[in-house]
Amino acid sequence: MSGSAALPLLVLASSLLPGLVIFFLPEARVATRTMLNLAGAVLKLALVGVMIWGVFHGAHYEIRLPLLPGLDLLLRADPLSMLFVTLSSFLWLVTTVYAIGYLEGSPHRSRFFGFFSLCVTATVGVALAGNLITFLVFYELLTLATYPLVVHRGTDEARRAGRTYLIYTIAGGALLLVGTVWLYTLTGSLAFTARGFLSGLDESRHGALVLIFVLLIGGLGVKAALVPLHGWLPQAMVAPAPVSALLHAVAVVKAGAFGIVRVVHDVYGTQFSASLGVALPLAVAAAATIVYGSVRALFQDDLKRRLAFSTVSQVSYIVLGVAIIGPLAAIGGLAHLVHQGLMKITLFFCAGNLAETLGIHKISEMNGVGRRMPWTMVAFTIGAFGMIGAPPLVGFISKWYLGLGALEAGQGWVVWVLAVSSALNAAYFLPILYAAWFKAPAGAWPAERSFGRRETAWALLVPPLVTAFLVLALGLLALAPFSPLQWAAFIGNLEYAP
Amino acid sequence: MNTALGALLILTPLLPLLLAFPALRARLPWPCHVALLPAFVLLMVPMDAALDLPWLLPGSGLGLDAGMDRWPLAMAVLVWGASASLLPAARGRPADERFTSCFLLTLAGSLGMMLATGLVGFFTFSVLMGYGFYALLLADGGARRRRAAGVYLVLLILADLALFEALLIAAATSGELGFAASRQAMAQSPSSTLYLSMVLAGFAAKAGLWPLYFWLPPAFASARPAPALLLGAAPVAMALLGLVRWLPLGDAALPGAGLVVQGLGVLTLSYAVLAGVKRGRPKCLPAWGTLFATGLFAIALGTGLGDPAAWHRYGDWAGLFIAAVGLGAALLVVAGGGLRQDAAEGRADDSPAWFERWPAAVVRRAARLGVDTLPRWRAAWQTWLMRLWRPRAWQRALDGSERFLQRWAVAVTLCVLLGMAVVLAGAASGT
Repeated sequence: MSGSAALPLLVLASSLLPGLVIFFLPEARVATRTMLNLAGAVLKLALVGVMIWGVFHGAHYEIRLPLLPGLDLLLRADPLSMLFVTLSSFLWLVTTVYAIGYLEGSPHRSRFFGFFSLCVTATVGVALAGNLITFLVFYELLTLATYPLVVHRGTDEARRAGRTYLIYTIAGGALLLVGTVWLYTLTGSLAFTARGFLSGLDESRHGALVLIFVLLIGGLGVKAALVPLHGWLPQAMVAPAPVSALLHAVAVVKAGAFGIVRVVHDVYGTQFSASLGVALPLAVAAAATIVYGSVRALFQDDLKRRLAFSTVSQVSYIVLGVAIIGPLAAIGGLAHLVHQGLMKITLFFCAGNLAETLGIHKISEMNGVGRRMPWTMVAFTIGAFGMIGAPPLVGFISKWYLGLGALEAGQGWVVWVLAVSSALNAAYFLPILYAAWFKAPAGAWPAERSFGRRETAWALLVPPLVTAFLVLALGLLALAPFSPLQWAAFIGNLEYAP
Repeated sequence: MNTALGALLILTPLLPLLLAFPALRARLPWPCHVALLPAFVLLMVPMDAALDLPWLLPGSGLGLDAGMDRWPLAMAVLVWGASASLLPAARGRPADERFTSCFLLTLAGSLGMMLATGLVGFFTFSVLMGYGFYALLLADGGARRRRAAGVYLVLLILADLALFEALLIAAATSGELGFAASRQAMAQSPSSTLYLSMVLAGFAAKAGLWPLYFWLPPAFASARPAPALLLGAAPVAMALLGLVRWLPLGDAALPGAGLVVQGLGVLTLSYAVLAGVKRGRPKCLPAWGTLFATGLFAIALGTGLGDPAAWHRYGDWAGLFIAAVGLGAALLVVAGGGLRQDAAEGRADDSPAWFERWPAAVVRRAARLGVDTLPRWRAAWQTWLMRLWRPRAWQRALDGSERFLQRWAVAVTLCVLLGMAVVLAGAASGT
C-alpha cells in the first residue's frame, strides 16, 4: 500500500485511535484526554489539507478492503468527499475545544469524548465512501456512535429523545439497506461514479429505479430531516450543546444531505434523475421542508428548539440545490453544505454559552443579554443574519447561487420559496436579536456563573467567534481560491461540464 | 497614485466599519468624525477612481467619478459630520457606546452605497445601512420610537427581499452585475417588467414614495436628534440614488414604466402638500418636505424612463438633486426644532387625516358589501378566518401531528424491516 493510498485510512485513524484510547482513560486524566483529542483533531486537519492539495491537482487517493464477496470497503478522495471531510475535520477541532470547556468538571467525559471521536470517524467514513455499501456501513456506525451522545445527560427527557432518534434512524437505515440491496441485485454495482452509472439500464427497469430512489432518499431523508421524517431532530436538542452542534452542523444531518447529493450525482446522475422524473418531486419536498421548518421555528420559545427547526429548514437548501438540476443551483447547494455548518454551529455554540453561563434556555429569558455577553451575542448576530441571507455573509452566497440556478433551470418558483424562507428567517431571528440588544434585562439571570472580568470561559467564547468570523470572511471572500464556493464550483463543473 | 486612490476607496467604508468596534475607537477623540476623513480626502481628489475587488462578492467594486456623483458624497460628509457632533460623548455609558457603533455601521453602509460600482455591492451596503439605521431609530426609545422603528423594519425586510429578487433577475438576464451592463441588459429583457416592479417596490419603500410613505413621518417625529438629521441623507437619499443606479435610465424608452413612476411621484407630492397643510406641526415639516422632494424626483425619473434623450440631457443633475434632498431634510430638521433632545418623543396627534382614511374606508366598504350581499357566507368565512389566525392552535395541531408520526415510527420501522427481509429473501432466491 503506497503512502498516498493510505491517506484516507490515516484520516480515519486520526480520530478512531484517540477515541479508542480515550474510552479507557480514567476520568481524572484530563490533560491526557485533552491532548489526545486536540492532537487527533489537528492531525486530521493536516492530513485533510494534504489530500485537498492532491485532489485539486488530480491525485487519486483510494484504498480497497474486501468486505463481502464482490463488494469492497472502498475509501476514496474526490472533490465532493473533500468538501465534506474538510468541513467535518475543521468543525471537529473547533467543537472539541468547545466541548472541553463546556464539559469541564462534568461526569463521564471519557465516555463522551470516546463516542465523540467515533462519531467523527464515522462521518469522515461517510464522506470518503467510494461506494454505496461503504457509505451504508459508516452511516449506520454514525447512528450507533451518536446515540450515546444524545442520551449523555441520562435524564428521562434525554432517554426519550434517544429512543426517538434510534427508531427514526434505524428505520432510515433499513430503508437505505433495502434500496442498496435492490440496486445491487438490479445492476451488480454500487460504486459511486461521476454522473451516475444507471443511465445505461433499459427502460423496463426504470419503474424499479424510481422505487429504489424513493427508498434511498427516504433512508437518507431521515438524517437530513426532510419533512415528515424530521421528528427526531427537535427532540434531540436536549443533548449537550457540543452534541447539538455535532448533530446539526458537522455530522448527522450533513451525512443525510451529503448522501442525497451522492445518490443524485454519483448513483443516478443529475440528467438521468431529471429524465426519470424524480428530481422535481425531490425539489418540491425540499421546498416544503424549507417553509415548514421555518414556520415551526417561528413559535418556539426554547432557543435550541427554535434552532433545531431552523436546521430542518436550512439543510433542505442543500437538497434543493441538487434537485433543481443545474450547475449554479448545485454549486449553491454544495456551498451551503459548508455554509450552513458554520452558521448553525455558531448559533449552537452561543446557545450553549447562554445556558452554561447564565442558565438561559428560553428566548423569553434573553432580554438584555447582549449587554452581559456582548461577544457571544455578536457571534450569534452574525450567525442569525447569515441564516436570514444578509449580504455579504455566507448565507447570502448560498441563496444567491440557488436563486440563480433556479432561474437558469427555468424553475422560478424556487426564487419565491427562497424569499418566503428569508422573510420567515427574519421573523424568527430578529425578535431574538431585538430582545438581546434592545430590551432591558428583567432582573437576575436564571443561573449565573462568574468568570471574573470575562463574559464566559475562553474555551466557550473562542469557538463561536472563530466560526462567526468565517461566516463573514467566507461570504466576503466567496470568490477567493479554495473558498467553499470555489470548491463547490469545482465539483459542479465536473458534474455538469459538457 | 492609483494605489493611493484604491486604498482611499477601500478605507472610506472600511474605517467606519472598524471603528464600530468600541475597543478600536476607545482612545480616539471624535471617532465618528475620524471615520469620515477618508471620504473627505476622496472628495478633495478631483480624479476618477475605480477599484475592482475580484476575490470579493461577485460583481463588487468601488469607484467614484469626477463628475456629479460627488454631490451625494459631499452632502453625506457634511450631514454625517453634523450629526456626529450631536452624538452623546460615548465614554463609559454602554447605551451610548452601542449607539455610536450603530451610527458607524450605518455610516459605513451609506458611504459604501455611494461608492459601489455594481448591484451586489450596492445591495450589500444598503442592507448594512438599513439595519444600522433601524438600530439608530430604536435605540433607547419609548413606545412611539419602537413603533416607528418596527414599521421601518418590516418595510426594510420586504424592500430587501424585493431588491434581492431584482438582483437575481438582473444577474440571470445579463450575467453582468455592473450598473451600466445590467441597465443595458434589463432595458431589452423580457423580464424587465418584473425587474422594474421589484426595483420600484424596494426603493419606493426605502425612500417613502406613496403608498409606502407611512414609516417616514413617525420616524421624523420620534427619532433622536442625530438620526433625525440623517433620515433624509441616509435612507431616503440613498434609496433615490438606488433608483438612479438600478433603473434602466437612458438605455431604452419605457413609457409605461415611466408613467407609473410619474404617477407615484404625483401622488407622493400631493400627499406631502395635503399633509403639510393639514398638519402644520414644525416637527413634521421635514417629513412633508422630504416627501415633496421625493415626489418631484420620482416625476423626473419617470420622465427619464419614458424619454432616454431627456435623461441623457438632464440625468447628470440627479446627483445634485439627491444631495439637495439630504441637505434640505437636515436643514428642515434644524428649522423644525428636531435637534431639541426633549422634542424627540413629544406627544403628537397621530389620527389619520381625511385623505389618509381611504384604505380603511375601502376595506370597510368591501366588508359591508359582503355583509349585505352574502350574510350567511360572511359568518362562515369570518369563523374560518378567525380559526386560521390562531397561531397557538396551529402549533398544537402541528405538535400533535409530529407526535402521531413519532408513535407510528415504531410501526413503520417494523414494516420496513419486514420489507427488507422480503427483498433480501427475494434477492437470495434470485441468485
